[in-house]
Amino acid sequence: MKSKSRFEGYLMVDHRASPGIPEDVARAAGRDPRFSGEGKLFEAATMTCWHCQNIVVLNPERRRARAYCPKCDNYICDGCEALRQMPGYVHVSMEQLSDAIIESATKGTPLGSSLELLNQPKIFVP
Amino acid sequence: MSRRVFSVPTFTATATADHATTLANGTYMGLSAIAAANRAEISEVYLGGQSAASNVNIMMLARHQTIAVTLAALAAPNSDGPLDGLTQVITSAVRGFVGATTPPTRSVGTTEARLNMTYNSFGGIVRWLAAPGSEWKITGITTLVSESSVSGFTGGGSGVMGGHIIYEQM
Repeated sequence: MKSKSRFEGYLMVDHRASPGIPEDVARAAGRDPRFSGEGKLFEAATMTCWHCQNIVVLNPERRRARAYCPKCDNYICDGCEALRQMPGYVHVSMEQLSDAIIESATKGTPLGSSLELLNQPKIFVP
Repeated sequence: MSRRVFSVPTFTATATADHATTLANGTYMGLSAIAAANRAEISEVYLGGQSAASNVNIMMLARHQTIAVTLAALAAPNSDGPLDGLTQVITSAVRGFVGATTPPTRSVGTTEARLNMTYNSFGGIVRWLAAPGSEWKITGITTLVSESSVSGFTGGGSGVMGGHIIYEQM
C-alpha cells in the first residue's frame, strides 16, 4: 500500500569533521542541537508543501497531525493550512500555478510581463 | 528532458539580507528558468565547507524577489552540463549563474518556499535530496517562481564552500 512517506525528501548536515554550529543557531534553524554540534551527524526527512513548495524538516517528536490538503491529496505546511482555513480561500497548488504560467507563456501573454499590463481591458464609462 | 548538474567548485558566501540588498556576484549559486515556457525541477543541493577556520553559514535555498538581469556566462571552473553526455542541445536552456549585470535579491515573503541549510563550513557538509514529485520547481520568467539561488543569509559568516545543484529541465 502506498503511503505519503514516499514524498519525503532527505536532509543531511554532516559535522563529523567540523566544529558544528552553536545550540542557538541550531534551534533557530529548526534542528535538534544534540545532532548539530562537533562530531555530529544530523539526518532528517523533509516534506515539500504542495501549495507553496516550502521545505519542512520533519520533527519526529511532533504529536499534532500534519496538515493535509484533500484536493492535492498531499501534506501541506502549517502556514498554508492556516490560509486554507480562511474564509474565501481559493485553492491553488504550485503545480496549477506552474501550469498557468507556462500556458499563458505559450499563448503569448506571460504573466507579470509588461505585455500583460499594456493589453489591459479597456473600460468605457458613459 | 535532461538532468543537469550546475557546479561551483568554490565560492565565498556572504551574509546578505532578504530583498533589501542585492546578492553580490560570486557569492551565490543561482538558477534561472530563462524563458517564459521553461521549467526546471531541483532534485538535489549539496554544499561542502572549505573554510580554513570555524565559520557558521546560514545558507538558504530561496526564491528571488527581484530576478537577475543579463546573466553573466559561467567561467571555469564553474559548469552547468547534462549528466548524460549524449543529451541533445537545448535551444533555450535553463541555466545556472553566479553573476549578472543586475544581481538578484532574495525573496522576503513569509509564504515563499525556502530551505535552511545552516552548517559550519569548516569541514561541514550539507545535502538535500527531494523525493520524486516533490522537487523544487522553477518556472517561466515571472518573478519569484522563475529564479532561485543558494546564498548566505544575515547572521552567517563569510565561509568558503563548493557545491552543486542537480536539476532537470522539463
